Order: sequence, then C-alpha cells, then structure tokens
Amino acid sequence: MSANTGELRPPTPASASLPPILSVQGVDMRFGAVTALSNVSMYLSRGEITGLVGDNGAGKSTLVKLISGDLQPTEGSIAFEGKETTFASPAIARASGIETVYQDLALAGNMSVWANVFLGRERIRRPRVLNVLDKKAMIVETREMLERYQMNVPPIDEPVDGLSGGQRQIISIARAAAWGSKLILMDEPTAALGVAETKAVEGIIVSLKESGFSVMIISHNLEQVFRLTDAIWVLRRGRMIGKRRTDATSPNEIVGMITGAHEGAEARRS
Amino acid sequence: MNSVDSPLATKTRLVRLAKHNGIFIALLVLLTFMLLTKPQFGTAQNLSNILQQNAVIGVLACGMTFAIVIGGFDLSVGSTAALSTVVTATLFASGRAIALPLGLAGALVAGLLVGTVNGWLIAYVRVNPFVATLGTMTIVRGTVYVITNATPVFGVPINYTSFGLGKLFGIPNVTWIFALVGVLLGAVLHLTRFGHYVYTIGGNAHAAKVMGVDTRRVRFLTYLLVSCSAAIAGVLLVVQTASGQPAAATGYELTAIAAVIVGGATLGGGHGRMIGTIVGVLLLGVVTNGLNLFGVSPFWQPIATGLILILAVGLDRARSDAD
Repeated sequence: MSANTGELRPPTPASASLPPILSVQGVDMRFGAVTALSNVSMYLSRGEITGLVGDNGAGKSTLVKLISGDLQPTEGSIAFEGKETTFASPAIARASGIETVYQDLALAGNMSVWANVFLGRERIRRPRVLNVLDKKAMIVETREMLERYQMNVPPIDEPVDGLSGGQRQIISIARAAAWGSKLILMDEPTAALGVAETKAVEGIIVSLKESGFSVMIISHNLEQVFRLTDAIWVLRRGRMIGKRRTDATSPNEIVGMITGAHEGAEARRS
Repeated sequence: MNSVDSPLATKTRLVRLAKHNGIFIALLVLLTFMLLTKPQFGTAQNLSNILQQNAVIGVLACGMTFAIVIGGFDLSVGSTAALSTVVTATLFASGRAIALPLGLAGALVAGLLVGTVNGWLIAYVRVNPFVATLGTMTIVRGTVYVITNATPVFGVPINYTSFGLGKLFGIPNVTWIFALVGVLLGAVLHLTRFGHYVYTIGGNAHAAKVMGVDTRRVRFLTYLLVSCSAAIAGVLLVVQTASGQPAAATGYELTAIAAVIVGGATLGGGHGRMIGTIVGVLLLGVVTNGLNLFGVSPFWQPIATGLILILAVGLDRARSDAD
C-alpha cells in the first residue's frame, strides 16, 4: 500500500513484446443459480487500450467487477503482472495498481474537487496521530494533476456538484491515473457526455496510453471503440466469443460476434 | 488556468456565504429586536440564564451534528443522557474519595455502551438509524426506570452544584464545558480525516466505500461519539440539579435535532457546520427566553421551536432551488 501512495507518476511505457499486464483464466461467476460468466479467459496487453464489448447482460460489468476486486470469481483465476491474484476488495486491487472509473464516477457531490481526487488517500499533517488533513498540499497536488488533462481547471475547493458532466468525468479519470496505477478500467466513460465533452475525454484516454497506462474500456459505442482501441474482446451471454486486433477487423464482424450472427458464418466456413 | 475568478466560483461562493451566514443574521436580528423591546433581556443575569439553560442541549446538538452530517440521526441521546445522569449521580453520591473520577467514568461507560449498540446496529447490521435509535431510546429509558425504580437519585454533595451553577468570568461553568465540547468536536468534524469521511459518507457512501474508506467503521465511531456527548450532557444535568432524574432530558433529542437543522445541516447528510449548530442552539434558546419575557405561556414554546424549524428548512429549500 505504502509503495504507491506517494507517487503521481504514471508507469514507464512498455514494448508490445512484454507479457500481458492482466490475464483471466477460465473464470466462472455464478450468483446462486444464475451463471453470469462461464469459463471466461482473456488478457490485456501492456500499454494498450483494450475494448470490451457485448450486449446488455453479456457479463461485461461482472467481468470488470472481478478485475477491480468488487467480486471474487466462483472458479478460475486472474493474474496481474504475472502474479496470480484474488482481490478481496477494491482497496486491495487499487493498492496493486488497478484503478476503476465507475460508470457513476464514484464522486461525492457535496465534497470539493480535491477531496474527491484524494478520497481514501488523504494527506495527513504531522504529527500524524492527530489525523489532521493537509488540505493545502492536497489542493496544490490536485491542481497539478488536473492541469495535465484540461486547460480550464475547475475550482479545486468547490463541491463537484457544481461542475459539468465532462469536468466530473475528467476528475474521476485523473483520480484513477494518479497514485502509481498501471491498469485503468473504464465503464462507459462517455455515456453521459455531449459531443465536445466526449471528444475531450477520448483525448485524455489516448494520452493515458501515450504515458504508458494500460486501459480497458467498456463501451456501447462501437465507433468509439474503433477510434480508441488496439484490441477488442467480445462477450456474449457470459461467454468470451473472441478477440480481434482493431486494425484487422471491421464493425460488421464485431457486431456479428456480439449478436451471434458470426457463428453461422464460421460454421459454414468449417 | 485561473480558477479563482471564474463566474461559477464567484456565484457558488456567494451562495455559500449566504447559506452559511443566514443563521448568524437571524440570531443578530433576534438579539437586536430583544434588546430594543425588552430592557431586561440584555442584563447580565438574563444572558447568563440563557447560556446556563442551553448548555445541555448544546452538548447534545454538537454530537448530533455528526449523526446528521453522516446522513442519519440519533433519537436515543435524551435517554442516554438520563442513563448517564442516574449512574453519575449514584457514584457522585457514594461519598467515596474517588467519587468524582468514578462518576465521570460511569458516564463514559454509559455513553460507550449505548453508542456501541447504536453503532453496531446501524453500521454493521444495517438497521435504519430511525428504527435502531428509536429502539435504544425506549430500551435505555426503560432501563433507567428499572434501575432507579423511577425514583430520583439524591445525595450529590453540594460542591458539585457549586461548580454546576457557578461562573467563570461571568459565564456559567456549564457553558464553558459546552464551548469546549463545541470547539473540540468542531475540530474533529472540520479538520480530521474522520470528520472528512463523515461528510463524504453523508454525500455518497458508495463512492467512499469503493474508494477504500471503511464506511462501517466511520459510521460506528460516529454513533459512539454521539452517545458519548450525550453522556457528557448527563453529567451537566447532575451538576446543575444535584440529583439524577430518571425522566431527565425527555424530548431533548428532538430539540437537539431541531438546533442542528436550524444551524444549516440537512437531514439527507453531507452538509452542516459545528458553528451553525452552536448558533442554532443559541437561536432556539433566545426565542424561548424572549417568549418568557413577553409573558407568553410556556405551552407556546414548542410551537415556536417547530415553526422556526420549518421556516429554516423551507428557506434552505427555497435557496437551493434558486441555485
């Protein structure tokens, strides 16, 4: 935990030949009699943006929750940076370097921008036994952090309730990109945003990759997935249908995989 | 890059300024009105009386602020104060050499006991705060009647009341205690990480949880703290009355909640300040005193408190709708 609480630097960019940053092996997830995921295997390449697509109820959010430590798999294993892990809680996953940008952003609207950025990792003044917050340091660091991502930094000491959807999204992403994290999971990062704001957030996602982060995006917007990603995984009804390199596939093929239409095609081919 | 002068910041700053200072303005207007219309209001004796009479509610309200900011409340504080009162009075009256520390320890144990039950029920069993504290309110009050057989505890030595009714620099000793509790709890609420988490959980408990905050622990400690301040209020009752009354502080929980809400906190959680609570207590105290001075029947006083509460919440709602 202590190793990555002080550092705001992103990890160094890595070459494509490295082993995957995260791999999922034969994961089953059952809720009572309901099977949400069945024998799912996948991997995320280091330093890439990977898309995860699928219809509603395909199990995308369940898979994200398994990786982020929100849920623990019924069967199977997850390896992060080559080490097999089961994250008992989101806090443990965060401490290992996996951050999640939740669809609802997980911001406390009544709290200031700095309080949300530092949520769960507050700076404490000396003597530490008094548990007094070092508000000044957090404001300064938050400003530096946000200036990396946007020109107009929102008022750091004001509640996030007063900010636009795009500004809030950027705060949530900036929070995920801090703290020495390596892998950032994003659940529908632009679903609630307008055109201009979507463009700004997409720019930030690309810049995360350029600074060496590995990113996984869940999105319903296929155009966006093709704009941003290097590889695409497709889930259907709790099963992993397959993976395609983005530059070697087409929206038609992905749609076919999402809906199941490709199965017929593959059956004819064989 | 400059965030200081953006119109949004200026506007929210003004809104917050008005929001935070409405209660001070109300108190100032009320004080001015009273001073102009009733000469006896401004006498040292009367002002000191107001302070003396509101110290117990004040201490209860300071603790209650935490419960309301975290998004709950605590109906059991009146009963907890009564439990602390009879335990402390019994120990003070025991005549032992260590009666004073013993009595204070007894109060602390009473507070920790009720607070542990409330905190455990609300934070870990996830019982609704209304249900949990309504239950403990009734159970603790019943327990107090059982252990005292509904008879007041007498025999507290006179030197306790000479402290409880005494003054320092013209201000009642119990008011100094209220001020101390207010400053201390204000520092905890506004400066520490614990207080910061109380606000965050009040605003979005789920966000706090997924970001790694141990929300159950913070909630548990909050209710522990509320009950411990109720225990302090119980000690103040003993030193002012030289007795332990089983029926003491009945209904005080509602006055304390009213003071916190009048002071600017919202029942949904996430908002409110300690200084607002303190001014809310004084405002309600001055209104009660004013009604007395105007010769209004005491039966009207709860009506006045209720009207102020509704007025305060209504104004707050009108303000946030205008945003």
